[in-house]
Amino acid sequence: MAIAVPFLGHGVGLRPKHFPQLWDGTARVDWFEAISENYMVAGGRPLAALERARAAAPIVLHGVSLSIGSTDRLDEAYLAALRALVRRVEPAWVSDHLCWSGVGGLYAHDLLPLPYTEEALAHVVRRVVAVQERLGRQILIENVSSYLTYTHSTLAEWEFLSAVAERADCGLLLDVNNVYVSAINHGFSTNAYLAGLPADRVGQIHLAGHTDMGTYLFDTHDGPVIEPVWDLYRQALRRFGRVSTLVEWDDRIPELDVVCAEAERARAVEAEVLEETNATSA
Amino acid sequence: MLPLRELQLRLCAALKASRAETDPALLGLVSHRGGLAAAQRLAIYADMYRTRLVDVLREDYPRVLTILGDGEFQALACRYLVQHPSTHPSVRYVGRRFADFLAGETGGLLFLGDLARLEWARVEVFDAPDADPLRLSDLESLPASDWPTLRLRPIPACLVVKCAWPVHEIWAAAADATPGRSGAGRPEASTLRVWREGWSVSHAAMGDLERRVFPLLERGEPFARLCAAGEDGLEPEAAAREVGSLLMRWLEDGLLARLPA
Repeated sequence: MAIAVPFLGHGVGLRPKHFPQLWDGTARVDWFEAISENYMVAGGRPLAALERARAAAPIVLHGVSLSIGSTDRLDEAYLAALRALVRRVEPAWVSDHLCWSGVGGLYAHDLLPLPYTEEALAHVVRRVVAVQERLGRQILIENVSSYLTYTHSTLAEWEFLSAVAERADCGLLLDVNNVYVSAINHGFSTNAYLAGLPADRVGQIHLAGHTDMGTYLFDTHDGPVIEPVWDLYRQALRRFGRVSTLVEWDDRIPELDVVCAEAERARAVEAEVLEETNATSA
Repeated sequence: MLPLRELQLRLCAALKASRAETDPALLGLVSHRGGLAAAQRLAIYADMYRTRLVDVLREDYPRVLTILGDGEFQALACRYLVQHPSTHPSVRYVGRRFADFLAGETGGLLFLGDLARLEWARVEVFDAPDADPLRLSDLESLPASDWPTLRLRPIPACLVVKCAWPVHEIWAAAADATPGRSGAGRPEASTLRVWREGWSVSHAAMGDLERRVFPLLERGEPFARLCAAGEDGLEPEAAAREVGSLLMRWLEDGLLARLPA
């Protein structure tokens, strides 16, 4: 089995700063990724903007609060709201993160890392299967940037992620910037990471900027993609082929044309890699 | 090996209590590999937790922030988050109890809870359900005989806030104030309506007549009842004129929902 998602090209995140371009019709992008929770509301400007965006380009829903690794029961109210949003906007796919966001009824609103153990793996697999049943579709699970790992982890992150994808029959959203950030923070090999993922499960790629804090890298999404991450993106394209790619920019957000320029660069990098691949195989 | 649930409960409790980086059990679970000590790694998450949620409160309560100044706001917000951690998957609801919290923590600024109540009502109205507003043209063709039984309703994106302070004045003054304490004034009961017209959120103080009539409008009482509530010492015809003027203002503000077909 594999993940069956369409190729959408090179998109950008849907952010309120760029809503005016939706209304004046100047937001020309391949596709938008919308943060699911921002649109699980009753009405108002955000939902109207999402409808506009949907009319202008394909939409993908990307959640931050599914909390797939939490040991609390699945939040049925949250899932019902997500299901309603999915019915409303008919996204090309739905994604969230390999993490937990809270427990005991409390939410930290953060992408907290899991220990990569057999216990956690079985737990996450059960939850992904349950979520896919509730939504009636496969979802994509994204690797997060992390700042700690646990001493009792027995699997590498990519082994854990691959096993989740295979056992739960879900897709992967590969965040190339997160691989780079976590590799620096924890000292693992980006090559091993990419080589360890199942190519037919990768349905989307994320690119973003981060901040060098001196002693660690911090996933801030507040600037352009740096050159080493572009290089890693090239490697990912060589390994996984053409994959829908999205540029995230969530803080100190510039004008839409600046974000779109990053998406255009991703398109150019992809063309360059595909040309190189074709030349090699010819 | 700590079971997954125990690990999560311990880390979440430590983040909430701002002691993640000093919890001995957590320190023993976090790897040092990669150059940073376990305490530094936990501190990154502790900082992110506080920063992210305080930033949400800053966005939701801009005038409270202006009046308190950043340092005092941050201290209050952190205390609030310890007492009222988020219990909703959407960060949108983190500040829903901030007004009640501030009402008991005003440090001499007795109006702060009321001001926060107004700011939260503005947040609530921002993404409340949409509704087509009633226009004057919708009512022009209504026969005179239908008016007494006409039942009007406010749009869903409309809330009434009752305060012990004139917070609409404090809110307006805070817009021009430099950060720091300002805009105290004197207590004076006020009732505000907060509503959304298009995408724009507004609020206005209600006069005596509107305060009397608006609850009837919310209950969907017939127009004749609204006029009767407006009498209060006025002749019925004068009261009907006054309520008619109020109706015109509500129509202009886009405050009334379109009548069911």
